[in-house]
Amino acid sequence: MSRTRRDPREEREARRLAGSGRPRWRLDAPPTSGRLRRDPRREIDALRVAGTTRLRLDRTGRAGPLALPTIDTAAVAAPTIRIVDDPAYLVTVVPDAPGGRLAPLDRQLLGAARTLADAGGGAVLVLSFGQIDGLGAAGADRIVALDAESGDPSARAAALAIALAALQPRHMLLPESAGGGDLARRLAAKTGEALFAGAESLTARLATRPAANRRIEQRGAPPRLVTLAPDAHLPHAGAPHEARAIAAPEGRADAPHTGILSIEDLPVAADALPLAEADFVISAGNGITDFELFRALARALGATPGASRMVCDAGLMPRAAQVGASGTVLEASCYFALGISGAPQHLQGVARCEHVVAVNTDLHAAMVERAGLAIIADAQQVMPALIALLTAEGEE
Amino acid sequence: MKALVLLSDGRHPVSGRPAPAGTELQAIALARGLTEEVAGLYAGPDAAAARTALGHGLARLEHRRLPEGDDPLPSLAAAIAAAAPDLVLAGRRAGAGAQTGLVPYQLAEALGWPLVPDVVALTVADGVLEAVQALPKGARRRWRVKLPALVTVHPAAPVAASFAIGMARSGHVEDAPGIDAPQDGTALEERPYRPRPRLIASAAAGASAAERLKAATQSAGPGGRVMVDPTPEEAARAILEHLRALGVLKPAPGRD
Ligand SMILES: Cc1cc2nc3c(=O)[nH]c(=O)nc-3n(C[C@H](O)[C@H](O)[C@H](O)COP(=O)(O)OP(=O)(O)OC[C@H]3O[C@@H](n4cnc5c(N)ncnc54)[C@H](O)[C@@H]3O)c2cc1C
Repeated sequence: MSRTRRDPREEREARRLAGSGRPRWRLDAPPTSGRLRRDPRREIDALRVAGTTRLRLDRTGRAGPLALPTIDTAAVAAPTIRIVDDPAYLVTVVPDAPGGRLAPLDRQLLGAARTLADAGGGAVLVLSFGQIDGLGAAGADRIVALDAESGDPSARAAALAIALAALQPRHMLLPESAGGGDLARRLAAKTGEALFAGAESLTARLATRPAANRRIEQRGAPPRLVTLAPDAHLPHAGAPHEARAIAAPEGRADAPHTGILSIEDLPVAADALPLAEADFVISAGNGITDFELFRALARALGATPGASRMVCDAGLMPRAAQVGASGTVLEASCYFALGISGAPQHLQGVARCEHVVAVNTDLHAAMVERAGLAIIADAQQVMPALIALLTAEGEE
Repeated sequence: MKALVLLSDGRHPVSGRPAPAGTELQAIALARGLTEEVAGLYAGPDAAAARTALGHGLARLEHRRLPEGDDPLPSLAAAIAAAAPDLVLAGRRAGAGAQTGLVPYQLAEALGWPLVPDVVALTVADGVLEAVQALPKGARRRWRVKLPALVTVHPAAPVAASFAIGMARSGHVEDAPGIDAPQDGTALEERPYRPRPRLIASAAAGASAAERLKAATQSAGPGGRVMVDPTPEEAARAILEHLRALGVLKPAPGRD
């Protein structure tokens, strides 16, 4: 357990008595740490036998228990939702949110928007294409759902241009990711707005970005359109916000570009993907003996195969498949560990994975503790059961 | 079919000497896979970097001369209109300067052409361009667009042809004055770059070392579900259900 750190100067400053020219402090105020403090003088006073000049103390306990000094420990308030009712201005955010879930960069983006909004009583408005979960906790005050029918980014940019004209936000923030960066540039080209691309620090007064192969830093007041680089701002950590849905602004989008005939996502061959790019990784450790079965399972699940160092050292899987500090640090959203104990060097490679599933015979393995779903069973028997279930489903 | 590759006044990231950007050279390689007729286009004061690109497989380079600091957009748009190519390729970011990656988008807007970002493969059939876009996490997206079109090239595209000095020497540079477009002085202040520490979200600022280690190795979410000694079939069912709830596995066929 750790206690929050005391700042004695700040505590003393809180007790400063106003008025006199000489600094004076109120010394009777209770300590702010909230821990009870014994006051031996008060205890002695309570035990003192009255009527004698010599000090005599009654230690039999007849004086009754000492009334504790009342210290108002700040009651831990239930999480209240912060509501910004009448915002002075709007800061709009367009998160990527692949699959309706906020990505880490989206959370950082909302954190940055919160800073910009809180600097002057503004509100954070999220423009979403499709349903997104957890926006209130991430710091959004309002949500406007935009038409998400087509995946065509030029149509989306047109919808954003309408929102930009109708809402007149002070800032519009997008992530500097593949999707968000593309959208921001389309929007900037369409509206002629200045774009501050890839901001590495962002406050209401100053934003900075690298230029000329990271030899120069450009800085200035952030314009309306800003994209934020990854890991440049902390996510919102305060009270949740209301995330009230409001109606989309009226406006007719121009017809989509006639030059674009079709846009479709291609299926990816998961086992050919480099580990660092993979989104779903299944990994074998020392608890696995049948690697043909393991590869068959990876194919059946559509996951990219990985391994722990023990397995790679033994030559059972290629070195490129090693996950961990001396292997690949994954960016996957889901990690499926079979027979891996979860050594710290291995867990570092999994640190950025959002979901972990583990199969291990040892209930006390570190990997089991890290996992969202842990199965305490023999992985050699779970693997064929999984394959059988998947093939049975495929035949149905 | 005619292809035009946009070149920037690139600088080598380490030595700072004129050198074309990597993705621009990859764009040349991609374009040469489609057609023999590939020209380069550069608008700016000094074509030293663009000239080196000749050695990577360009037959011809069009240089639109501009004073230092002018906006290249009008010159580029005019040159493209004059050359009337079917396909214009650009790198992801310029090799120097502000590196916002905005020029291809502004050109596409000015020309009214469709733009496909982050392309790794190109094929053309009957005036229709089939381009494969690279997305993060190894995903790919296929676009079919009518020519003329503009594409930007992703670093995952096939590698560029290596430099051949004979080609660089024999390459032809057409020099013509560009359209002056002075920009109203840069509003942004410039300073030497100072790397900033990446902010790690999972460990709150000021957390103890133990907490930071925990944040680096332990799950952020609520404690997980543990199933002790299930039968393999139960375990398999639970795992598949969990993976489907997370959305990493497609729903079972026949069920929705
Ligand atoms: C400098 C350094 C760098 C390192 N870098 C890395 C790295 O990058 N990546 C990495 O992975 N390791 C790395 N290691 C090694 C790491 O410390 C561990 O030794 C390694 O991760 C252990 O691999 P494991 O979990 O597969 O094996 P073990 O620790 O042997 O664990 C096997 C697990 O499988 C379980 N098990 C056994 N049989 C079964 C069964 N039938 N069914 C289910 N479960 C079963 C056991 O309960 C146990 O938990 C590094 C070590 C050092 C010193």
